Amino acid sequence: MSRRVRASLLAPLVLFLASCAKDAPLDSLDPAGPRAKSIDDLQNPVFAIAGVVFLAVNLGVLFLAWKFKRRKDDHTLPHQTHGNTKLELGWTILPALLLAGIGGASVLTLLDLEEKPDDSMQVTVVGQQWWWEYQYDVDGDGETDITTANDLVIPAGRNIDLDIESRDVIHSFWIPRLNGKRDAVPGRSHPLQMSADEPGVYRGQCTEFCGLSHGYMRMRVVALEPSEFEAWQDAQLDGAEMPTDELALEGREIFRTTCSSCHLVEGEGGNEDLFEGSAQVSGAAPNLTHFMSRGTFAGAVFDLWTDIDGNGEVDIDEHGDTLNEAQLKAWLRDPPAEKPMYAPTRGMPNLELSEAQIDALVAYLETLE
Amino acid sequence: MADTAVHSSTTVHEHTHDDTATGISNSKLGMWVFLASDCLLFGALISTYLLLRHRSTHGLGPTDVFDIPFTSVSSFVLLMSSLTMALAVASITRGDVHRNRVWLASTALLGAVFIGGQVYEFTTFYREGLGYTTNIFGSAFYTLTGFHGIHVTVGIIMLASLLVMSLRGNLTRERAEAVEIVGLYWHFVDVVWIVIFTVVYLIP
Amino acid sequence: MAIAESPSDALALPSGGAIAHRPMGIFGRPRAKTGWTSWITTVDHKRIGIMYGAAALFFFCIGGLQALLIRAQLAAPGQKLFSADLYNQIFTMHGVTMIFLVVMPLGAAFMNYLIPIQIGARDVAFPRLNALSFWTFLFGGIFLNTSWIFGGGADGGWFAYAPNTGVAFSPSHGMDFYALGVQITGIASLVGAVNLITTVLNMRAPGMTLMKMPVFTWMSLVTQVLLLFSLPVISVALFLLTFDRLFDANFFNVAEGADPLLWQHLFWIFGHPEVYILVLPGFGIVSEIIPVFARKPIFGYPFMVFSGIAIGFMGFGVWAHHMFASGLGPISVAAFSISTMFIAVPTGVKILNWMATMWGGKLTFTAPMLWAIGLVTMFTIGGLSGVSHAVAPADTQQTDTYYIVAHFHYVIFGGALFAFFGGFYFWWPKVFGHFLDETLGKVHFWITLVGFNLTFGPMHILGLQGMSRRIPTYRDGYGFNLWNMVSTIGAFTIAIAMLVFAWNIVRSYRRRNTLPKPGPDPWDGRSLEWSIPSPTPEHNFDDEPVITQFDDWWYRKYEENDDGELVKVNEPEDIAMIGDGSRAHLPSPSYWPFVLALGLPFIGWGLIFNMFITAFGGALVLAGFVGWALEPADDPDLPPHGHDDHGTADDPNGDAAALDAPATEEEVTVGG
Repeated sequence: MSRRVRASLLAPLVLFLASCAKDAPLDSLDPAGPRAKSIDDLQNPVFAIAGVVFLAVNLGVLFLAWKFKRRKDDHTLPHQTHGNTKLELGWTILPALLLAGIGGASVLTLLDLEEKPDDSMQVTVVGQQWWWEYQYDVDGDGETDITTANDLVIPAGRNIDLDIESRDVIHSFWIPRLNGKRDAVPGRSHPLQMSADEPGVYRGQCTEFCGLSHGYMRMRVVALEPSEFEAWQDAQLDGAEMPTDELALEGREIFRTTCSSCHLVEGEGGNEDLFEGSAQVSGAAPNLTHFMSRGTFAGAVFDLWTDIDGNGEVDIDEHGDTLNEAQLKAWLRDPPAEKPMYAPTRGMPNLELSEAQIDALVAYLETLE
Repeated sequence: MADTAVHSSTTVHEHTHDDTATGISNSKLGMWVFLASDCLLFGALISTYLLLRHRSTHGLGPTDVFDIPFTSVSSFVLLMSSLTMALAVASITRGDVHRNRVWLASTALLGAVFIGGQVYEFTTFYREGLGYTTNIFGSAFYTLTGFHGIHVTVGIIMLASLLVMSLRGNLTRERAEAVEIVGLYWHFVDVVWIVIFTVVYLIP
Repeated sequence: MAIAESPSDALALPSGGAIAHRPMGIFGRPRAKTGWTSWITTVDHKRIGIMYGAAALFFFCIGGLQALLIRAQLAAPGQKLFSADLYNQIFTMHGVTMIFLVVMPLGAAFMNYLIPIQIGARDVAFPRLNALSFWTFLFGGIFLNTSWIFGGGADGGWFAYAPNTGVAFSPSHGMDFYALGVQITGIASLVGAVNLITTVLNMRAPGMTLMKMPVFTWMSLVTQVLLLFSLPVISVALFLLTFDRLFDANFFNVAEGADPLLWQHLFWIFGHPEVYILVLPGFGIVSEIIPVFARKPIFGYPFMVFSGIAIGFMGFGVWAHHMFASGLGPISVAAFSISTMFIAVPTGVKILNWMATMWGGKLTFTAPMLWAIGLVTMFTIGGLSGVSHAVAPADTQQTDTYYIVAHFHYVIFGGALFAFFGGFYFWWPKVFGHFLDETLGKVHFWITLVGFNLTFGPMHILGLQGMSRRIPTYRDGYGFNLWNMVSTIGAFTIAIAMLVFAWNIVRSYRRRNTLPKPGPDPWDGRSLEWSIPSPTPEHNFDDEPVITQFDDWWYRKYEENDDGELVKVNEPEDIAMIGDGSRAHLPSPSYWPFVLALGLPFIGWGLIFNMFITAFGGALVLAGFVGWALEPADDPDLPPHGHDDHGTADDPNGDAAALDAPATEEEVTVGG
């Protein structure tokens, strides 16, 4: 609450603020990690100072307007003052000192934010039109062992050392409750440190304009208990198994013939043997090996699971319960209708699948756990 | 020669450049102001070149194509044109219309030789395999030196116009300032070339 | 020349699209005094200023409609009034229009009209370049907007970050129109900068030393210097983008090894000074209005001037604060964070000096004064949110969110536009000879103030709650709904206020003959423009004014005794000039600026579609140059004026002008 009030010092509309406090998953004033916290601690006093200056100037102007308003039929002229050098030097130097103080504090925080603890876990984040890929090097041999998309899964309480890259245009990776944003610039790799204090889902939105579907390029950080994270990591290292179900096998065939030009599923049940890379400008489409382990799809625009408790947010413990089948099918039916894309060069094209094919594909995708 | 400053009827016939607030005529001041802006144009182009020249992923680079002795000669030619330009200004200030024509023509000619050298250089580089779109160095190099070449060309056109004026008898001592202003531009373009030659060709 | 005629003689001149003498213009100059040809050929700084203002208000309607479309789309979550593609075009063109076609030219309108009459000059230094500047701007603006009929507007944002603006990612012609159109308007501004800087430095009346110039003229000078040095940088950036898009160059081609941050540096080295280019004229206007209605001199004139210069100077050292999230590394970020902090200091000085000017005054709350005070309060909000961006770590949370959108609208709308509206009400009688309606002006102000805060105030909250910029829609459940609705309501409130303004213009014009005449000095003003009749006569000043002090006109009306008390010594009507132009000599009109400027958009269309069109445009430009160079300094067929015929004597056939650089050729053809 108090943060909100402080923020409102800039926008003098305090009354409604309390009412909108809940349900703001991107709220930068509600930090959930040490770095977002230190930014918050830095900016709150700045907001407070700004609020005081705002009030001083605006009340001051109102006071002047009231005090020095020319009365009717007062035709005398006021005393003429041309300036007051001491006063003016004063209000040049004082703000300068104040700002120097704020500047010093900013620089200290800035350097603090770049600090990387020794036990950090490294993840490479790759932006492309219009989704995020995450690459984990589990054994530290320099090779990517896990490739996933949309949901960045991390252990809570541990620092994550992100390397932010891009395959096409500039994007920006931003999880407001965990840290400020950092641009993903093609040809460059930008470090960003991030950690979550508690397990939970932290949402984000690409914040550098990246073309047509910029508004639909979202992401989440899913922080797990360290033990759960270990389990997740182990599961991710396995490839897909051959499905047993008849319909799913049929779906696998469709996947291998129709989806292999862009999507990879590793393991025996997948299409690794056929995979020929990507026809897309951005260089890839999401790796679907463990599709069902994610909470979202299509650039984190859609929830993969139904929101059982109805709080508007699919939580971690809702994973694996009820598939958001209607949305997944709608996506397979006509992706560009669901999310703006320049298909087929950038984004998923309409593959003209029949309803039976869609059913089979969904059955197959359901096996990719 | 007049500007539009308000002048009372009594001062009309004394009316010269000197009644501007700075004492510098509008045209000359305008040229100075324009050149100040042009500095930033070349500043940005040179910075761009410096940032990009070693970033090519393939194709020819600076060390592969540059022929320093050749460019040194053409740079020397351009430098000499500054000398003749200065002589042109000096002669018209003295009222020596004939010498002035000679020096104007020499300046334009030297400028043209420099441009010819640049055309030769561009063709050679192109034959060696460095096109405008070949790699990032090609784009940056041709853009920077091309912009300079256009500036020199504009300068030659201005010199030619002065020469035509002179031949028609309209470029007299009273108009010395026109030559001076073109001279300002010409010297500026030369100085820019000195920077470009140093930065682009000489510093590896 | 014609101005030299007495009014009765002037009536005898052919009017309304007069048949131009020697239509090729090679040996003659256009002579129409009224009708549309007189506007096309005018070189009068006042008419050019009026045209700048009118064109900018026209583009303001376009940019405003785009803003309403944006707000309509964002009123509720998940709306699809139009596609993401169209949305991207609309927000891009909204930004481009408002910055390059509205706020900059509105500044140019005021500067063109006011600088000469504030410094005691009869016109600008290069009247034809002034006309060229206007027509180039207008055709550039039209060119940009023709993109809508040729395949869609620019879709890469006004900041046009590479490589998203490359052909691969933005295949429509929109970004070509952007690159070429902004380039054309840039030429207009550059020409204007050379002209106005020379004007301010050179054309001041005797005694008008730099430190006696009105603050508006000072701020205009700083603005023009900023333009002079920042425009070439954006020019280079736009050239590189154009060459990449049209000629397959590799400047922003990452696959070839390019670094996209190059664009950002070039763009913001221009882009940050641009912010001050937008607001400094507004600061100048407010510095004129507040002293008049406080009936006190501006408090701390030297501080006002030097803080303006300081803002301009420091404005070149802070560009990378737009790039705190771009990955510059902590050292650069720290340096630019500190430098950005300190640019707030001179801005704060201005705010406090305006307040100190009000202190102890006798304030009259006319419409112009309300707008000026509105600027002081609203700009402060924008300035303070600016300080919070300078805190680099905080900026990584704020940048590219609606918090930034709120910030720069408080700065540009609450700063520049508020001042321009105040300026309209203030100088309208001087320009058109009748007042704008005061009551409607106040209604206009209060509705705008409410609508403005409703629109942009909530954006602070939205931004801090994590709403990104440039998203065509947002998801329900992010807590964005309420404030977006409020913001949309605010936007339509502003639209209503603008209708009030339009109605005010129409109504005041209709009633101009029945309302009291403003006289030369309706507000008991301080600077020189109030010493001449309203509307300003074509020749501005009957005789060259001689200046002895700052606020010279005020001190011709009042004398200050030793206690700082004022005693009225003259009535303004008694000492104002009467509009007798018989001693004046003015530059002749010209066709060629219009012709030259007209060629530029054709070159642009041609580069995009067909080189033959480019050739046509190039021919027009060339014709413009040649005609310009060959036309005589004055219309040789008008009888030379008694006192002032040296021009034709100096330059009988105008050959002297056969130089190619406009800045040079002006020398022999302007005026005399």
